[in-house]
Amino acid sequence: MSVYITSTGAFLPGPPIAIEEVEGVLGAVNGKPSSLRVQIQKANKIQTRHYAIDSNQQTTHSNTEMASNAASQCLDRAFVAKEGVGMLAVATTQGDHPAPGMASMVQAELGLADLEILTTHGICSSSMMALKAAWNSLRLDEHEAALVVSSELASRLLKKQRYEAATHSTFAEKRIDFNTEFLRWMLSDGAGALLLQNKPAPKGMSLRIDWMRGFSHAHAFPTCMSVGSAGRVEDTRTWQDYDSYAEAEIDGALLLRQDVRLLDNILRMGVDGYLRLVEEGVSKPLEVDHFLCHYSSHHFRDKILDLLDAAGVGIPEERWWTNLYTRGNTGAASLFIMLDEFLRTDEIEVKEGEKILCFVPESGRFNTTYMQLTVVKG
Amino acid sequence: MIEGGTPVASMDEGVDTMDLNPHAQVCLQHLLRAWLGFERDLSTVPLLRRIDLGTYTVEDHLCLLRNLRQQVIEGSRWITRAASSFDRHHAEIRSTIISHAVDEHRDYELLEQDYVASGGRIEDVQGMERNIGSEALHGYLMHRSSRPNPIDLLGAMWIIEGLGEKMARSWAERIQELTGLSEDSTRFMTYHGHNDSEHMLRFYQMLDEVCINDDAVASIVKTAKVVARLYRLQLEEVQHGFK
Repeated sequence: MSVYITSTGAFLPGPPIAIEEVEGVLGAVNGKPSSLRVQIQKANKIQTRHYAIDSNQQTTHSNTEMASNAASQCLDRAFVAKEGVGMLAVATTQGDHPAPGMASMVQAELGLADLEILTTHGICSSSMMALKAAWNSLRLDEHEAALVVSSELASRLLKKQRYEAATHSTFAEKRIDFNTEFLRWMLSDGAGALLLQNKPAPKGMSLRIDWMRGFSHAHAFPTCMSVGSAGRVEDTRTWQDYDSYAEAEIDGALLLRQDVRLLDNILRMGVDGYLRLVEEGVSKPLEVDHFLCHYSSHHFRDKILDLLDAAGVGIPEERWWTNLYTRGNTGAASLFIMLDEFLRTDEIEVKEGEKILCFVPESGRFNTTYMQLTVVKG
Repeated sequence: MIEGGTPVASMDEGVDTMDLNPHAQVCLQHLLRAWLGFERDLSTVPLLRRIDLGTYTVEDHLCLLRNLRQQVIEGSRWITRAASSFDRHHAEIRSTIISHAVDEHRDYELLEQDYVASGGRIEDVQGMERNIGSEALHGYLMHRSSRPNPIDLLGAMWIIEGLGEKMARSWAERIQELTGLSEDSTRFMTYHGHNDSEHMLRFYQMLDEVCINDDAVASIVKTAKVVARLYRLQLEEVQHGFK
């Protein structure tokens, strides 16, 4: 059975925050401006982003609220009543509560009765996990419609108070701790939602899901992006192993870290997965009209792309599309926020029959996920 | 089997791109996967994982160099053997391989100097015999290079050259940083990063010339996969001493 994305929605909290305003919102740690901010922002090229905290680092929208706002917009635009939704799948890196799962909270906020729920836990690729489960549910004919929501509230992890409290962390020990600061200037907040149905919308464009695949390489690589340990190889404790949560925080076990040295591997594994799909005949590079990638093309300026071109399977840059530079890197929410704008933007004309390849890599422990969509008209 | 695509405009008009014939394109797709799988699996080799984790020591470095030396010496032997196995119809590739062998046949001396600069004794590195993996790798490469017109060895070069480039790109500086050793201890590694784009162009030219049917694709890719597995075996076996 074919399954279609028949409606989308997105929610970005607050006004767009420009590059030079970012530190004013997240706060200067111990009152000192970061010496790494400009360098990291220059590299990621994100011009504006959104935060669900204000300049006093007070939360303006909970993660549940953001998810619900995106979901409501998606349902408002849909040709099906919310009572027709049989499943709610919600993805996030960190919900408002460690327990219960965020889908319960979003369901309550939306007032959706008696439906099946799923919360996926991970980082960027958790959105694809939720989407795949919902897609499969419809393919099995268990539901006629499923709502998939992905929401991220990273700024609560990135505000100055987190770093100021970590007085015994690697961040405090070293004057410059690139790995601990890197994501501070990368990530921001937002939510996206997709409605899946077993038939296309009666009007406008729908996106048929042709296939979804994922390849995880956690068995081979160390952890690259994480929260929950102090970032020292010899210390195997995770945050709940400390006598108190306060001690975990002081030791830096609640800081978000990226092992920047390992980051190249996610691009390489991304290319490997893509070539595997080409080899299996699943993905046909010449048929790809649009390439939506959770990372931006300049991150991929690597020799390996020249190799893909030489091997005849490169995707020309004019087929890449992203809104990362204006909406920010919202982790798991990125692809859904991207799809929502892609279908509405005047920048390109999306035509019936066109194929869209989506790629969501997760550097956490190297998971790469892929999806192909075909544009159909109701 | 992979379908050949048509060449698309390069994102970055570098010197190291060229239009390959469709068989060579398909071969390159498979070679890329063989390489990426090899590179990923190297991360599981205990000695190399310590580079990733930041726990690599001077002793690890000495151990690595001791175990690499035999492969470097034998490397120049199979390359020259391969060159002599090509007939006059393969004169172009033979010339390329001969000049490559001339470039690298004394690399082991560089490696020995690195060993001494890292605090090791010259007699220890010179007295090291081939480890279990080096035996297998060397045996396989000598066997393949003794066959007439061994074009499949392009697959071996792809993996071994790729590793040289990886050493220069991501190991050398990191090893210095972790161990406090100087540039003099990693010159064998950094040396291989030089003229990388020139090497790639030369490789593409050879591939385009000899990879012209399905059999050629299959043999080149298979040899790449075998060499990748045996090279990893060599690196897995570094902890075993013989003397």
